[in-house]
Amino acid sequence: MAAVSFKNVRKVFGDVVSIPSLDLDIRDGEFVCLLGPSGCGKTTTLRMLAGLEQPTSGAIHIGGEEVHELPPAKRDIAMVFQSYALYPHLTVAENIVYPLKKRGIPKREWPAMLTHIAQLLQLEPLLARKPKQLSGGQQQRVALGRALIRKPKVFLLDEPLSNLDAKLRAHMRAELIELHQRIGTTTVYVTHDQLEAMTMSTRIAVMNGGVLQQFGTPDEIYYRPANQFVAGFIGTPAMSLVNGDLQRDDNGFAVRAGGLSLRLPHAALQTDANREVAIGLRPEDIMLGRGTHSARIKVVEPTGHESIVLMDCGGATLCTRIASDVPLAAELRAGQDVPFDVTLARVHVFSRKTGLRQNRDDKNVTSIKRTRDAA
Amino acid sequence: MRADKTNLPASIITWVIVILMVFPLIWMLLTSIKPQSELFVFPIKLLPEHVTFEHYQRLLEDTPFLSYFWNSVVLSVATTVVVMVVATLGGYSLARFKYRGRETIAIAVLCTYLMPSVVLIIPLYLMMVKLGLENTLTSLVISYTTFALPYALWLLRSFMAGIPEDLEAAALVDGASRLGAFMDVILPQALPGIISTALFTFILAWNEYLYALVMVNTDETRPLTTGVMNMLVSSFNIEWSLLMAASVMMSVPLLFFFAFLQRYLTSGFGAGGVKG
Amino acid sequence: MATVSLPGMGIRSLESTYSRLGVLLIAPAVLLLIATIVYPLLYALWLSLNAVYTPTQQSTFVGLANYRDMLGSPTFWFSLWVTIVWTTSTLVLQILCGVGMALLLNEKIMFRSAARSLVLFPYFVSTVVAVLVWRWLFNDLYGLLNQVLLELHIVDAPVNWLGQMPNAMISIVLVGTWKYFPFVVIAVLARLQTIPLSLYEAARMDGAGPFGRFFDVTLPQLREVLGVVILLRIIWDFKEFDLLYLMTGGGPVNQTRSVPLLVYQQAFGLNQMGTASTSAVGMMVAMGVLMAAYLYRSQRTRSQDASR
Repeated sequence: MAAVSFKNVRKVFGDVVSIPSLDLDIRDGEFVCLLGPSGCGKTTTLRMLAGLEQPTSGAIHIGGEEVHELPPAKRDIAMVFQSYALYPHLTVAENIVYPLKKRGIPKREWPAMLTHIAQLLQLEPLLARKPKQLSGGQQQRVALGRALIRKPKVFLLDEPLSNLDAKLRAHMRAELIELHQRIGTTTVYVTHDQLEAMTMSTRIAVMNGGVLQQFGTPDEIYYRPANQFVAGFIGTPAMSLVNGDLQRDDNGFAVRAGGLSLRLPHAALQTDANREVAIGLRPEDIMLGRGTHSARIKVVEPTGHESIVLMDCGGATLCTRIASDVPLAAELRAGQDVPFDVTLARVHVFSRKTGLRQNRDDKNVTSIKRTRDAA
Repeated sequence: MRADKTNLPASIITWVIVILMVFPLIWMLLTSIKPQSELFVFPIKLLPEHVTFEHYQRLLEDTPFLSYFWNSVVLSVATTVVVMVVATLGGYSLARFKYRGRETIAIAVLCTYLMPSVVLIIPLYLMMVKLGLENTLTSLVISYTTFALPYALWLLRSFMAGIPEDLEAAALVDGASRLGAFMDVILPQALPGIISTALFTFILAWNEYLYALVMVNTDETRPLTTGVMNMLVSSFNIEWSLLMAASVMMSVPLLFFFAFLQRYLTSGFGAGGVKG
Repeated sequence: MATVSLPGMGIRSLESTYSRLGVLLIAPAVLLLIATIVYPLLYALWLSLNAVYTPTQQSTFVGLANYRDMLGSPTFWFSLWVTIVWTTSTLVLQILCGVGMALLLNEKIMFRSAARSLVLFPYFVSTVVAVLVWRWLFNDLYGLLNQVLLELHIVDAPVNWLGQMPNAMISIVLVGTWKYFPFVVIAVLARLQTIPLSLYEAARMDGAGPFGRFFDVTLPQLREVLGVVILLRIIWDFKEFDLLYLMTGGGPVNQTRSVPLLVYQQAFGLNQMGTASTSAVGMMVAMGVLMAAYLYRSQRTRSQDASR
């Protein structure tokens, strides 16, 4: 168990600068997700931590020890690959004890360690089989077992759930959370699925284009996104973003965006807030039925217990939800004009020039609901 | 091309052609087991009236055939071993490592693949004489690498490139050194490719004629190819029965490979033969 | 193993360790190839500038005299012509038979895998064996071929297959085709098996008959494979020595003496190693265009397969 740190890490492939400069400090015992779209550098970062790639410059430490010059074998880490990378010619048992063999752990200790892991992951009936005889979920558990058996300092996972079907994915998510709670090893987990990141992490590192966008708890990422990219990436359905402009006067700020006209107090935004802004509104912060604003319904998408509503407000498309058992829900039609209200305290204001969020926050932030609807 | 039921007309045509194609080899076998008297009759009969193995007996007892056979075995095995060791390491290097000049070497290997032996025999012969290796099996083993090594390198490189990179990465993370990962992961996974390449190399060496012709000229060191042809040339009347028996016996390894290891031969074909 | 590295340094020590290991692993192969191919090649070029008497290896520098002689000698040009005739004829037949056979073997044939294996036999059999068998078949008095032809009254006298032209060339081309067309079969068959059925089904629906489907669907798909196969076969048939030497020895009267045979005869028959090397270099130049074409193609497909 150990802390991990990246200091000024830079990675260049030929002519392409994949990661210009990364600084990241992960505390001992944390479960950190590297989250971002394809090509954002998250896998490269993980591989540099593993020793499968080397940073062009900069330093990587594990538990205070400099590791960027060490081969993977000497870093005391374990990794689960997206493809599981189980050794096809070895049995499940042989796969799992392979790390012990390589580290010179005496053979007599293997059976006990193997049994412990097999019980933990319910692999006992599978020990004599070969990987190609296993299902995807079983292979994944074997890969986990191979990683866990050594009790490494850091546990690395590269999109381990992306090859599983939705149901199995949900199940494995819960298992991984539980495992982390039991064992407590520092974990770095790469994914492009924000749901995984939000449910599993202590902190999330959102990356885009090789640059760290924000590193914070799920709450912070969700309620106080550092910039427009993070705000738009996290949350399903996505936050509605509308371009507009900001006017400061003696009573506060006047915001006009699309058909929306809002007033915010001085305390809500930074004093040097830019005039050109983009407004962000999450679906749950737009309430249909009554209010000072109005919009025309474009599309109603029923999803069972709720419907997702897309509406046009003066040229801006807004997205919101409405529960199916509310009387209004049955009446909504495309083309209809409907009034709505907005939770002013949760309006996000982003500078169009820099993308950065201009709000000033206090410490009271409602906690995220832990139960989320399947995306 | 599509129907699930057997295509009868195509089957018949195909098998007629296949039999015609293989017929010369069948004829070779039949000739070798016919007594001499049956060879020179008109009209010719296909099947023997009496089957005899006297030609084989004469071949083994009265000619240097066995010594030729032994030489071929030693030669082919030695060539295969040397080439396989060098090419396996080299193929691994070309497939999995990054270093300056790697692409140049790959192109150079391709070039050597196309090199005509005729150009090289003269200088190689002179080199062997200078080294005092003329007329030895060693000179043949060295010469054979000129055509066996590029081919083996290319085949093995492409077999190893096909192994998923993650497997090696997993081994490295699990604590293996680079060479440890090679032994534990790459070799077992590349095994079918290695067997293919070894078979191909063996057959290439076993069948080689020109180098043997130039480098070696005494019966003690002659391999089968030049040895048997020598038998043909050095007698006044050509003893076809004997030669056919010799041909059959020369093809024994090939038959063996075909009987038991056929899939390795066809897969090796695809990987290196055409993709280049 | 930690080394102090300054920011901005190009290669870190672990990467360079791996690079060095890579170089070490390829070194034996490279050294061997340099010793057995590169050096002899340069030596051959040097030899071509000399007159060398084979038994004693006495050599005298003659500069480009050998080349002048070669370019002026009808012997060389004639053997080049022979080589071209042989290569082109056998290539055309190899391709036609090879593609035809591959098409057949792609169908649902009874005992298909046995047929596919048997088809490979001629290719893997030693040239010596192939020549012995065919020379026995071609034997004018007792060979099966003449017997059959006589009995079917196709000819009234035994044919001299190897001692007469154009029979000798025809015989060689026939045996060469027999021996080498399985290479084409396997390569083309492998490609045929990857053509999606849906292409044929779409063509059927558009009204294409069997010939239409062959020319409009199959052939375009085979273009790439055929390109490589033709190139390789030209190169290999061009430099073929064993088959021609053993079948006819270059006869009758040097009518089937291709350049490789010429080189051999000059070196070991006439004992002129210098002249022989010159002819060999001449051959390589003739082949040079083909070799360059092959390399160019290969590089293109390799860079298309995304470099690592």
